[in-house]
Amino acid sequence: MLRRTALAATALLAAGALLLTACTGGGEPAQTTAGSPDPDASVAIRLVLEPGNLDIRQTAGAALDQILVDNIYQGLVARTPEQDIEASLASDWTVSDDGLTYTFTLREGVKFHNGEDLLPSDVVWSLQTRKATPEWRDSARLANVTSIAAEGQVITLTLSAPDSTLLWNLTGRAGIILKQGDKTDYQTKANGTGPFVLTSWKQGDSITFERNAEYWGDAPQVAEVVFAYIPENQAALNAALAGDVDVVTGFDANLKGQIEATGDFALELGASTDKGTLAFNQTKPPLDDKRVRQAIRQAIDHEAIVEALASGQTQYGPIPELDPGYEDLSDVAPFDPEAASALLEEANAQDLNLTLTIPNFYGPTVPTVLVSNLNDVGITLTVDSVDFPTWLNDVYVNKDYDLSFVLHTEARDFENWANPDYYFTYDNPQVQDLYAQSIAATDEATAEDLLAQAARIVAEDHAGDWLYNGSSVIAVGSNISGMPSINVNERLNLAELAKSDG
Amino acid sequence: VIRYTLTRLALLLLGLVVASVLIFVTLRVLPGDVAQVIAGTNSTPEQIDAIRQELGLDQPLVAQYLDWIGGVLRGDLGSSMLTGTPVADELVEKAQVTVPLGILSLIVALVVSLPLGVLSAMRRGRADGTFMSVGAQALAAVPVVWAGMMLVVVFAIWLGWLPAQGFPRAGWEDPAAALRALALPALTIGIVEGAMLLRFVRSATLQAVGQDFVRTAAAKGLTRDAALLRHGLPTVGLSVITVLGLQVAGIIVGAVVIEQLFTLPGIGRMLVADVSARDLPKVQGELLVLTSFVLIVGFFVDLVHRLIDPRQREAA
Repeated sequence: MLRRTALAATALLAAGALLLTACTGGGEPAQTTAGSPDPDASVAIRLVLEPGNLDIRQTAGAALDQILVDNIYQGLVARTPEQDIEASLASDWTVSDDGLTYTFTLREGVKFHNGEDLLPSDVVWSLQTRKATPEWRDSARLANVTSIAAEGQVITLTLSAPDSTLLWNLTGRAGIILKQGDKTDYQTKANGTGPFVLTSWKQGDSITFERNAEYWGDAPQVAEVVFAYIPENQAALNAALAGDVDVVTGFDANLKGQIEATGDFALELGASTDKGTLAFNQTKPPLDDKRVRQAIRQAIDHEAIVEALASGQTQYGPIPELDPGYEDLSDVAPFDPEAASALLEEANAQDLNLTLTIPNFYGPTVPTVLVSNLNDVGITLTVDSVDFPTWLNDVYVNKDYDLSFVLHTEARDFENWANPDYYFTYDNPQVQDLYAQSIAATDEATAEDLLAQAARIVAEDHAGDWLYNGSSVIAVGSNISGMPSINVNERLNLAELAKSDG
Repeated sequence: VIRYTLTRLALLLLGLVVASVLIFVTLRVLPGDVAQVIAGTNSTPEQIDAIRQELGLDQPLVAQYLDWIGGVLRGDLGSSMLTGTPVADELVEKAQVTVPLGILSLIVALVVSLPLGVLSAMRRGRADGTFMSVGAQALAAVPVVWAGMMLVVVFAIWLGWLPAQGFPRAGWEDPAAALRALALPALTIGIVEGAMLLRFVRSATLQAVGQDFVRTAAAKGLTRDAALLRHGLPTVGLSVITVLGLQVAGIIVGAVVIEQLFTLPGIGRMLVADVSARDLPKVQGELLVLTSFVLIVGFFVDLVHRLIDPRQREAA
């Protein structure tokens, strides 16, 4: 019954979308109107996924990093949209040649949002507590750090072994600096050092930031940013058409014509580290057979998926183009249904029945293509659409699945392929060894090269499939400038955001 | 009457206890828990266990139930595991959307069903009467989601009169905008519920037409329609009050669905979000309040029914 209702709803939604298309005309996007930035401006940004709570210390999920890191909370270093590392609370830093000593100079005159000063002891306390508290996110990323000390404004981190990922990790949760002994209720409030102050969270609706007038750097050009959480793209489109939002992130590129028809919005596509990851449970037959996994990969028309999404690009290995260690691996599993059928025959695995477990917030596009593609080579795919906690429990924790689809948005997360306990169920000591070497490398080029070698092995083992490398799809109002477009599911740094009154 | 009230009250309390157990047990059958949600996709089993311990999820189920129900008896509905906010506070905040939505829906349902139901009964056998009853039959079978989408297409997209979704951020500080935001959702629920009520009003009216006292009144010189309106309608009203109890449940279910469609920040949307975060203490509190509301409405409907129906009074 439920399923029937859902089907009917889908059909009706499709009909509704068609009706919408029928009554909005074409038209060119308007040119950006030149006007001066309005210092009192409030910018409303549509986001998709609302965080369950705001606890930056403990609660997982890109929904928190996306808005809280950089804007509210900061570390010694930060990452640019181009994924380079830049100074933040530290004005500069040096790394010793042996990669064992990191020295940071802490900025002076930095204040937390509650008015307290940032002290060197806060930095030491934050990093030490993070390292010592396993429940806190990314605690393990500080594993190699043996001591954290402050002398004046100089903060020194000493490592037991080189870690080529440390600086990057310090731009994320692992490096966030909090006020020592802070009594802030982190679940619903925030107290950081960033350019914005969190003023309200209306659960189920929106989060509001205000300009931090006391910011140590250049204060934001807008007075207020409102993040409006609207899960459905159609509803987001309506909100944009009604003028309720100035920016739409996480948009569907297929709706480009409709949103640009207003003349008030332009669609932008930015690179991202979103990886549409098809995981294979390779601990049991038939997916423990590499030929079966290869057959599935070669049966899937990746170009067709990218076309159906109207955004993104193909990705044939575990590392996306934006991350270090990327290389084009399309030669490893080219689309070839005949070769796929032959492989299945060779593996004596015809007439397979497999189940795809997929969290229910992903649309029907990917499962539809998969069902059809796999059907062409004689694999019957059943789609099991479940809510996210069920996916976490069944797939992530208990590894009880055949195939699973999840969009992994995290940047530089190759480590999961080197972790045999991860739900990917991929266990190759050679890959684990190469990854360990890449971490231990003291220069970037070596680290990248080792990652690329490991990634090629993962791809050649057909340890999983990468259905697409997503784009950040955003529609930006013509009076808005300074809106980042790269990897916005992961980070939405709004320091440059401005709204013109013209 | 007092004895009747006490029996009904006992039944109500029993109903509430059974409901609380059912709610608690059903939610525990769901796979996954909030600790896994907090820990996310980059966590170790140790991390998940540590968070579970922190939240008290490692306690035996019976202890968890008693802890919860003990709190409820003391008037404490519990707090969210994710945000620590008391469930009662959250409910009060979200009720500012859901309660007006329910009341508006009920008004629409009554405005649609009462006159049309009586009219369609009086016009029985004629083309317009048949049309009304067939129309109601069809509308009552329509899923609220479909009705909502059709109304959005017509009133929000074609005509552009009303907003397609959302609720003003200022809430009721801007009453005009808030009412406009609730107009389409209330119309959706009201029409579908009203169509169901219409059928009921029609059959109650038809029944009244066949009653002795209506026929007697007609025999004494009133026209049949006049006899029906003057003497038959009170009995119709009585039947409608009874069925309204059920309608309230229908409106609550309708609100849960419709708040999704129109992205209204009400109790329905909060409930769905909390289930998908496995914030069980919150879901429990919300469901218990909704269930109690329906049960209590039913209790009062029974009482009122008994008090105003002379036939039932005498039987007792």
